[in-house]
Amino acid sequence: MSDRPAPTPLSPVAGAQVRRLADPERLRLAVAWVLTVGVAISAALLIVSVIGAVLVGWDGSLIGRPPAVEPVFTLAGLLAGLAVLQPAAIGQLGLLVLVLTPILRVLTSLILFAVERDRVYVAVSLGVLAILLASLLVVR
Amino acid sequence: MTPGNELALFAICVAAGVLGALAGIGGGLLVIPALTILFGVPIHLAIGASIVSIIATSSGAAAAYVRDRLTNLRVGMFLELATTSGAVLGALLAAIIAPQLLYLLLGIVLLFSAAMQVYRLREELPPDVPASATARALGLVSSYPDARLGHEVPYAVQRVGLGFALMGVAGLLSGLLGIGSGALKVLAMDGAMRLPMKVSTATSNFMIGVTAAASAGIWIGRGDVDVRIAAPVALGVLAGALLGARVMVRLRNRQVRLIFVPVIVVIGLEMLARGLGLDLGLG
Repeated sequence: MSDRPAPTPLSPVAGAQVRRLADPERLRLAVAWVLTVGVAISAALLIVSVIGAVLVGWDGSLIGRPPAVEPVFTLAGLLAGLAVLQPAAIGQLGLLVLVLTPILRVLTSLILFAVERDRVYVAVSLGVLAILLASLLVVR
Repeated sequence: MTPGNELALFAICVAAGVLGALAGIGGGLLVIPALTILFGVPIHLAIGASIVSIIATSSGAAAAYVRDRLTNLRVGMFLELATTSGAVLGALLAAIIAPQLLYLLLGIVLLFSAAMQVYRLREELPPDVPASATARALGLVSSYPDARLGHEVPYAVQRVGLGFALMGVAGLLSGLLGIGSGALKVLAMDGAMRLPMKVSTATSNFMIGVTAAASAGIWIGRGDVDVRIAAPVALGVLAGALLGARVMVRLRNRQVRLIFVPVIVVIGLEMLARGLGLDLGLG
């Protein structure tokens, strides 16, 4: 830890105190928060979609509109499906939130490592983020 | 999928989630056999459903471990470079290799995970060894609060290169089979890098979600994540994992968990037989 520059030029003792109080604490709590909230939102969407599917079918509409025709894995189809509360579209959104949650977690770590001015781990987080983004583009 | 199958899928996945939690191997490894054997789901769609499910099941536990300071965030982030690269490669490979090879590998991983449960029973303090120069340079050396011992336990980190390589393999298997590869991740950190078991387990959990996300995009892009299967499956495994974690708190003796290991062995052998059976059929 001592080889990393402190965020502000404090005395070694005060610098150590700031790091002990602020840095690992903020980093950990924000990271944990992103994971919990992401999964909670996703689970809520998935519950609505599965119950909806049992009630009106995957391609039905929870508000009694004519069902969307576009497949939900295209953006247009997803939006059209969401507009009529189509269970398949709600479920697809839930799955997308699930996949985005770890990506957001890496982004959170990146921001906090940057705040800590930990250059090595900013680079590591950027590397992981680059691989994640590349994976989204590789099959298109 | 006929109407009403959602509920059956959900129920079976709750069971898979509970069993996975009790046996300590996570939900993904059991979901794929459950979907392929009980519902006749093609293995690629089963893997697609599993890969998104394990993000859900690992994230809850990961958040708790992060709050309890058991997770080594720097070790996790650094090794994720290896697991995510491996996962992308694995997900791409899955499209071109024969399905029976997927069954065969899944069987091997299941048997390996069952064996790891016996290995994990020894939960001792980390050996008093010096940290390697690489580990010090990367800021990986840390400490964790041990609840049972009631004090902070410092630990060194060794053999970073070997750990990194093993993590690449863990990522490859994760992307290929839609599993968390938790057992191999723990082996890399506990066995190779000499991290304490509790830190290895917590950090492994932390990495599973990001590793899965790296291949999930590819599985989704190929159309192998069918919402009709994946939504009830993810929800079921998540509910099962939460339920299993509650039951597990009551099972104080770790030996009790071994009761569930033979079940994993049987499922592993079934997957092996599927892989080999198809091979013999071709001959």
